[in-house]
Amino acid sequence: MSTPRITRLALASTAALAAAALLASCAGQAQSTDAAAGDPVEGGTLTYLEHQAYTTLYPPQAGFYPNGGLVNNLTARLTWQDPDSLEIEPWVATEWTVNADATEYTFDLRDDVTFSDGTPLDAAAVAKNFDTYGLGNTELGLTISEAINNYASSEVVDADTVTFRFSAPAPGFLQATSTINSGLVSPATLDRKLEDWGAGNAAEIVGSGAFVATREEIGTSLHLEAREDYDWAPPSFEHQGRAYLDAIDVVVTPEDSVRIGSLLAGQADVIRYVQAFDEAQVEGAGFEVIAAPTRGVNNSLGLRFTNPLLSDLRVRQALVHGVDAQEVVDTIFTENYPVATSELAATAKGYTDESEGLEYDPELSAELLDEAGWTVGADGIREQDGQRLSLTVYEAKPQPLSKQTLELVAQQLKEIGVELTVKAADSGSYAEDILDPLKTPLYHSMVGRADNDVIKSQYHTKNRNTLLSDDAELDRLLEAVASEPDPAKRDEASAAVQDHLTEQAYVIPLFEEPQVYGAATYVHGFRTESVARPLFYDTWVDEQ
Amino acid sequence: MAYLARRTGQALIVLAVAFTATFVLLQALPGDAILIKFESPELGLSPDQIADIRAAYGADNSVIEQFLHTLTGFVVGDFGYSVQYGTAVHELIGAALPGTLALAGFGFLVAVVIAVGLAVLSTLAPFAWLRSFLRSLPGLFVSVPVFWLGIVLIQVFSFQLRLVPVIGADPVQGLILPVLTLAIPISAPLAQVLVRSIDEVQLSPFVAVVRAKGASPARVLWRDVARNAVLPTITIAGVLIGELIGGAVVTETVFGRAGIGRLTEEAVRNQDVAVLQAVVVLAALVFVAVNLVVDLVYPVLDPRLKRKAVAA
Repeated sequence: MSTPRITRLALASTAALAAAALLASCAGQAQSTDAAAGDPVEGGTLTYLEHQAYTTLYPPQAGFYPNGGLVNNLTARLTWQDPDSLEIEPWVATEWTVNADATEYTFDLRDDVTFSDGTPLDAAAVAKNFDTYGLGNTELGLTISEAINNYASSEVVDADTVTFRFSAPAPGFLQATSTINSGLVSPATLDRKLEDWGAGNAAEIVGSGAFVATREEIGTSLHLEAREDYDWAPPSFEHQGRAYLDAIDVVVTPEDSVRIGSLLAGQADVIRYVQAFDEAQVEGAGFEVIAAPTRGVNNSLGLRFTNPLLSDLRVRQALVHGVDAQEVVDTIFTENYPVATSELAATAKGYTDESEGLEYDPELSAELLDEAGWTVGADGIREQDGQRLSLTVYEAKPQPLSKQTLELVAQQLKEIGVELTVKAADSGSYAEDILDPLKTPLYHSMVGRADNDVIKSQYHTKNRNTLLSDDAELDRLLEAVASEPDPAKRDEASAAVQDHLTEQAYVIPLFEEPQVYGAATYVHGFRTESVARPLFYDTWVDEQ
Repeated sequence: MAYLARRTGQALIVLAVAFTATFVLLQALPGDAILIKFESPELGLSPDQIADIRAAYGADNSVIEQFLHTLTGFVVGDFGYSVQYGTAVHELIGAALPGTLALAGFGFLVAVVIAVGLAVLSTLAPFAWLRSFLRSLPGLFVSVPVFWLGIVLIQVFSFQLRLVPVIGADPVQGLILPVLTLAIPISAPLAQVLVRSIDEVQLSPFVAVVRAKGASPARVLWRDVARNAVLPTITIAGVLIGELIGGAVVTETVFGRAGIGRLTEEAVRNQDVAVLQAVVVLAALVFVAVNLVVDLVYPVLDPRLKRKAVAA
């Protein structure tokens, strides 16, 4: 009884695919959601599809994109970082002073800001926020924020003035006050255990942002409502007062094809995580693809030089020159993924051009490996004293198309006689093995943050330490970035780190990683903060 | 009564074994949830801070201590906290269970309807070619991957024909496609067993007698064959619970539904031991309960089994 139907279904889907392909081939391009918009309209509910469920709303742990996307809309911060100029502007703080060596910051606050339960956002509340984020609270399980270095103490000067002191220069602190990791929540919320910030608790997290979470289905969906009394958008925003949207439905939709299909079929308005291979389909159907840069350490492979196979500089240089990042981008990604020209993104603070030292030059690689005493063996893989030049890298689930990227890199390295085995691991072995340079000599990662400090986060032995480094010189250079109060000298310090990383061939940068969103044409004013988290405050929808 | 007590005792032993085996296996895995969550370079925590967290979670206590702690927790109904979400495990399961029960329950019902429909039609349909075609359908159904089926159903019925939404669906709409996705592969083994046992019963002498008396094929099927053919099908139905759970994992992920399957998939990905331990014990509980019911229903359908049970 169901044959004819099944055949029809098969035909229908084939036809649909063909139509999509046709549309894709004559794709038009749209850059932002502001194109051809009229006057903003208040009201409506936006359906936003997330790729994964959030795990916690504790701001210092909001680096995970689903967490950050929520915290960004639920909390206001002391300052706002302009996503284009990267300037720090007032938000809850009207103005601030920093002493000469950046060990003391004083903020003046607006006196009309409240948390969503009505309690005032005053100096005492701000002090408690940063005491928690800067020092952590072991008893409650609240961890220290990666964005805050050398935090010592706070002092409430008066109801709308607060001073922070640091044990060593902390030039990155001002920018840190603008990040989602410093989202301001009510003092009572800060008394919650880490467990009580997790799934199922969103409605009880009292923030200071334009939206409030009101309903939640654990792991599946979240309903955010606009705060009627919100009136403290950053002064540089054209739009003031409450958010245009009445509400946002955040729906977790893990399956890529369902997320894209829902957008194209009009069931969703904005989606996060459009895979590179789906961009053409989304644009082709007349929708908008918004690729926001993450402005930090590029998507790259760290070479763990404490692994004996990688201890020779010439071998590392050979690997760096043996990888063709251009081919990776051309084959697997799109123009929204610019080829890396340094360890940092060109849009990152403190960037310096390192492309000369990173050039693709397989002949040079071969020479370097010959020099280092690695000779090509019978199967084309180089050997030395009976040992093969064979390395391992784990697929990194958080990076887009990591497996495909690594497999292509493995092919490229094979050309110069290096074997790269790409491994997929369950989370337990992955978490353990990536901490061992012998098991994971190459590590695939990136990190986004629009401040010079980002490079310290990625490479310092006391932070992410992605190189599993024992290079004291590298640490010293990184500490200079984190503690140089003069902005120009700080950029120089950052350039010195990039020079060192390139000279030592510690990193194979691949591309500048964006966050890619898809949006319907009737969605206007969708914007992202400086590290590409969605901000729905300005977003509005046309009558459809 | 003694039979019931004995079967219940067996069920409890199965549960205890499942609990212990899960605990041992999860302990044997490399890494743990705290390592995965807090030592992940993404949080950028220093080794000292991580040591504090490990101590706070009791992650470095001895295995015996952890076992006793978990076991006493389970006995009083405290399943601990999910490290990944921070949320109490009973809360996570409480939120996920209704969705899965509805999905699995309706999925099973629809599977039974499809299986019975196929079996009846493939016995009573007018043409030999049609009957043999209907008989070949379960083979097709069983080989369809749940994942693919779900996506095809969504693409066609939701995105192309726009009959039911996937996003923002009301509870009834939200069940239609997932239930179909789950029911089709589950119906296949049911239908196969039912068709085969109908064939066998059809060939038995008493059916020949009934036929000789002039009964119509439909009457023979409903009055005489069905009752006898249904026993093996019920056995299979009990075994299918496992497949129902497996199918729910995929279906819930594809459709983005809240449920035990999705919760399990995430817990496996993050090695969230507390959640996994609770899910395995829950699954064992369901499995044991269903098989207990199947065993108790048997004697009702077949009096010969009742005599045996009493004698034993």
